[in-house]
Amino acid sequence: MASSVINAGALVTLQELNSASPHFKQGASLRVTGKLQEYSFENAVALIVDGNATLKIDTQHLNINLRVGSIYQFIGELLIQPNNEVILKARVGRNVDGIDLNLYHQSLKLLREFISDQISNTP
Amino acid sequence: MDALHNTHAKLLAFDFVSLTPTASDPTAFHRKGKLLLTRAETVGVITTRELKPNKFLKFAVDDGTGCIPCVLWLNHLTSPYFSRRSPPDVRRIADVAARFASQIQLGVVARVRGRITAYRGSVQITVSDVIVERDPNVEMLHWLDCIKLARKCYGALNLSPHDQNRLS
Repeated sequence: MASSVINAGALVTLQELNSASPHFKQGASLRVTGKLQEYSFENAVALIVDGNATLKIDTQHLNINLRVGSIYQFIGELLIQPNNEVILKARVGRNVDGIDLNLYHQSLKLLREFISDQISNTP
Repeated sequence: MDALHNTHAKLLAFDFVSLTPTASDPTAFHRKGKLLLTRAETVGVITTRELKPNKFLKFAVDDGTGCIPCVLWLNHLTSPYFSRRSPPDVRRIADVAARFASQIQLGVVARVRGRITAYRGSVQITVSDVIVERDPNVEMLHWLDCIKLARKCYGALNLSPHDQNRLS
């Protein structure tokens, strides 16, 4: 009894998410992580930051409490607007305060190497 | 080491969805045409949830490498499959399943274990166990477990003649 098809949120860091990235395309399903820097109650748009990179998150479909200064992870689809503004329309989100971001970045690197290895060794 | 019967193999979603059924045994699945698996464990974010009360809960676990479809049966009190078991036992099994169903909510991170089953040409997990994880680092530890096990264990198993026959 398989669930209806839904894309996995590809794991990307905010630093990687630029116009040269293969993930930087309309409708791409992504999972992003960052510290909440701003939140607008008017339009439910959050701004998250990781290092010197930022991303806007549309949180209107979420039912979570957002607190500036906390770290959040969102899964959703990337919308590139006509004025080139980029926003992630979040499907799910959660507070990940306590996450070890160094471990996250290192694990992500190992995970990508492993997947690449496995795919290239597929008979 | 033999094939991993009745062991919950920790698999990343991209690996899990490439499992293929065996011709001779509907409960066993090949990994990369070699290893035989019957059970799996995943950790990830719940991204879909479809409840049919007193029948089943379908949901998907997104671990960042793919999505694993899961089904949790909730029909214990009406299914003929359980009619020969003692009613108090069946009630307890139904209560546990109902508790798992209430814990599976969109956005939570869960560790899900169960049997690998096939449905309409895809593989899925028929759920036997759910643990909601609250440590934000647990997914990374699961990735690292999966990588280590795939490299050191799942990819290095020697099959017994019996299992080689089952695969052929």
